[in-house]
Amino acid sequence: MNSKKIFFIIEFVLAVLVIILALMMLQEKNGNDLSRVSVVVPDSDHTQWTALRYGLKMAAEDLGIDLFVVSTGNTLSAPEQMELIQNEIEHGADAVIVQPAIGEYTEELLKKVESRVPVMLVEYAASKAGESSLLPVVKPDHYAMGNALAEEILDDYNGNIKGRTIGIVTESLESEAAARCRKGFEDGLKGTGADLSWVVSGLQQENKEKQLKKQHKVNIIAAFDDRSLTAAGKYSAANDLHGAFVYGIGHSTEAAYYLDTGSIECLVVPDEFNIGYQSLTQTAKKLGAYFYEMENQTVSYTVIRRDELFSPKNQESLFTMSQ
Amino acid sequence: MIMIAFSAISISILLVLGIVMYVRVSASSRQEMTQSTKKLIEQTGESLEDYLVNMRQISDAVYYNVVKENDFSSKDNSIQRGMNLLYEANKKSLRSIAIYNNYGSLVAAEPIALQKEDPDITKQDWYVQAVNERENMHFSTPHIQNLFQDAAFRYYWVISLSRVVEITDHGEPQFGVLLVDMDYSGISRMMKQINKSSNGQYFYLCDSNGQIIYHKRQIQISNGIFKENNIAAAKYKDGIYDETFGGEHRKVLVNTISYTGWKLIGVIPYSAFTHGMFDMQYFIVMLVLLMTMMLAVINRIVSVRISSPILKLKDSVMEYEAGEKPDIYIGGSLEIRHLGYSIQRSYEQIDTLMNKIVLEQNERRKSELDALQSQINPHFLYNTLDSITWMIEGERNDDAVCMISELAKLFRISLSKGRTVISIKDELQHAKSYMNIQKIRYKNFFSIVFDIDEEICSCCIVKLVLQPILENAINYGVSVMDDGGEIKVSGKKEGGNIILSVSDNGVGMSEEDVKLILTDSRRVHTRGSGVGLVNVNNRIQILFGKEYGLIVESEPDVGTIVSIRIPEVTYTEENRERLERGNYLAGK
Repeated sequence: MNSKKIFFIIEFVLAVLVIILALMMLQEKNGNDLSRVSVVVPDSDHTQWTALRYGLKMAAEDLGIDLFVVSTGNTLSAPEQMELIQNEIEHGADAVIVQPAIGEYTEELLKKVESRVPVMLVEYAASKAGESSLLPVVKPDHYAMGNALAEEILDDYNGNIKGRTIGIVTESLESEAAARCRKGFEDGLKGTGADLSWVVSGLQQENKEKQLKKQHKVNIIAAFDDRSLTAAGKYSAANDLHGAFVYGIGHSTEAAYYLDTGSIECLVVPDEFNIGYQSLTQTAKKLGAYFYEMENQTVSYTVIRRDELFSPKNQESLFTMSQ
Repeated sequence: MIMIAFSAISISILLVLGIVMYVRVSASSRQEMTQSTKKLIEQTGESLEDYLVNMRQISDAVYYNVVKENDFSSKDNSIQRGMNLLYEANKKSLRSIAIYNNYGSLVAAEPIALQKEDPDITKQDWYVQAVNERENMHFSTPHIQNLFQDAAFRYYWVISLSRVVEITDHGEPQFGVLLVDMDYSGISRMMKQINKSSNGQYFYLCDSNGQIIYHKRQIQISNGIFKENNIAAAKYKDGIYDETFGGEHRKVLVNTISYTGWKLIGVIPYSAFTHGMFDMQYFIVMLVLLMTMMLAVINRIVSVRISSPILKLKDSVMEYEAGEKPDIYIGGSLEIRHLGYSIQRSYEQIDTLMNKIVLEQNERRKSELDALQSQINPHFLYNTLDSITWMIEGERNDDAVCMISELAKLFRISLSKGRTVISIKDELQHAKSYMNIQKIRYKNFFSIVFDIDEEICSCCIVKLVLQPILENAINYGVSVMDDGGEIKVSGKKEGGNIILSVSDNGVGMSEEDVKLILTDSRRVHTRGSGVGLVNVNNRIQILFGKEYGLIVESEPDVGTIVSIRIPEVTYTEENRERLERGNYLAGK
């Protein structure tokens, strides 16, 4: 090879390196444009989402994500939710984190959205079956939480609740969360002789509270979600539950407050901070690597009694709920 | 090769320069970042101290201006008013001020709020600490205030400043605990202000035991998502430390907050030092690459300027070696031009020498041919044989025998087995035979005398060099004389050389003829064998060298002396062969 050829090869290689470097510098500058992730949950300003929002916010800070929590109304139907998601994507969302609305075709519709941007579910799967979810989901173990509620009730009654009547309050029986939670609860009480007297579900907050008041007297009320628990707590505080003891799953300061004031007996708190943190972490990984497959995550939960509400660990839970 | 060598050296130098520059810049940037972080941590530490001092002053004001001055049984609400004034003046940073008696019952509080049903005050940390160490004020770590009911279901994070106070109730002094709950948001706001850096640098606050008061990833730490070296850092004294934690090398700056013993800790991961350096890294690499490109071009130009004349010179030399006759390239720098000139001159000299050699070879061949011709000069042979015929017819048988005998000797020596070099003795014998024949032919018209030193007879000489001289002496010297001529052949040694002279007293030659006789080979021999003195001279010089040969001296009407000057070389078989192969000249 003559020196002329060597010279041109050297110059060519150097020129290529300079171009690559220039592109890298350009990318470095443009790299400041953060990926945008939108979060769509019903009644997004409600205190029940405080810990989740805090987890999302912390993850966004740690991972350099531009987070946007969409402001939503009290309830969110599947078509409304889809419209919001489409709107967010059109406005530049690179991924969406969604608590799926209850609906027959929600999962299929969300799956279609996933072909455009990554979709991560929080709290529960879009299908009632849960296990065969088509979309990744970060959620607590609803069955275990329902089961833990049953165990706590049994503990309080020294295992003897034969003949005791129980009422169940839940947001919806159609959601995977409620179905799994109820299954866990019923499995926990199986063979104890407890009487599941009634179930209140699928009603708006106002109506539900009225309906609760209308229910005949039970010894125990089990609430499977934060809204239901705070509704039951409110009635318990007002002594409108005919002396029923309230047990439930909640993650708002309101729920904690009712426990603090003795209006409810036991509170099962899912780690909402981690649901927010892990969901955004998975989403960020997907945004960072096209071929990354987002994984299902199960977060822990804590059973809190009144006397241990202010233990250092539980204070941290309250801290995340108070942000 | 020159370009590659230049480029390699240049790139190496550039790389070293680039690395040195980067190291220098990054070291100074690191130093600067550490110093600015140190300043920031000191300023924040001062702000925190001011904040805590302010809290202490509030506590002092409540104690000395309100509690000590009033009796709690008094109906004039002066205690509540005093506390209210202080609360209102500082409510941005205060959550509440409360006074509890020695049973943990609430005595006074501001803002006025309903106490929770059973907050179990005496078991709360701030109360226990105050009672256990009564002489001190105690700052708690952040915790949820568990004292008052809140209609909005809120829980507040506070830092409690508690102290034992002496309260007077119905004139009776008793101890109580004064609690000033500071809003945690005041401290977290301050910490958030300094935690806005995106390069990985962060600050946190912990107490002397390492328990975290503020950390931007507080929940991640308790959830195990993030780890912090807070326990070890709490033991550090104020200063700057290098540590490796969680596989990460980092710089830790520690500043202790007075009175509380809290530690304000700044963490700068080493990656943060390079974070801001990315632009600098890219810039330096880009600079090095561009300079390398430029240097490669310059090196190319320089090396081409240096190597091009050399290559052209080489090409012209190679062409020359391939048998062509190109002009040797003369160009480039002074040295290359000089080299070109030298090569050109060398080749010119080689050409001249080659031509000379070819010429000499041709001359030699011609001389040898001439010598051969002189050996059997047909005219001489015819005349001699004719003379012999006449002698026999004239019954001069003895003369005829003598002549035949001399002719036989002449031919024997002429042939000499094909040798070119013979002994002087044989050459003289040849000359004598020739002269004897000629004397008979010319009827003793001239006389011949041989005066030869015996010692030279055993030396070497080119054969048949005397005969042409004698022939010339007869033909041009003495044959035209009216009276008999005299030819003398003498031989002697002189200064290591041998001089053989043929002198005659013939008509002689002019000075011009003498000059031409050894140089003009085109002279036509009108008489004799046709072998000129030029030929004789060449033959001698070819064998013995240029310094030898003939010397002609002549003067018109006086005579001519032709001297042969040859080196003294003893005639042996070995010397003869050396001379004939031309090794005598090489040996010189």
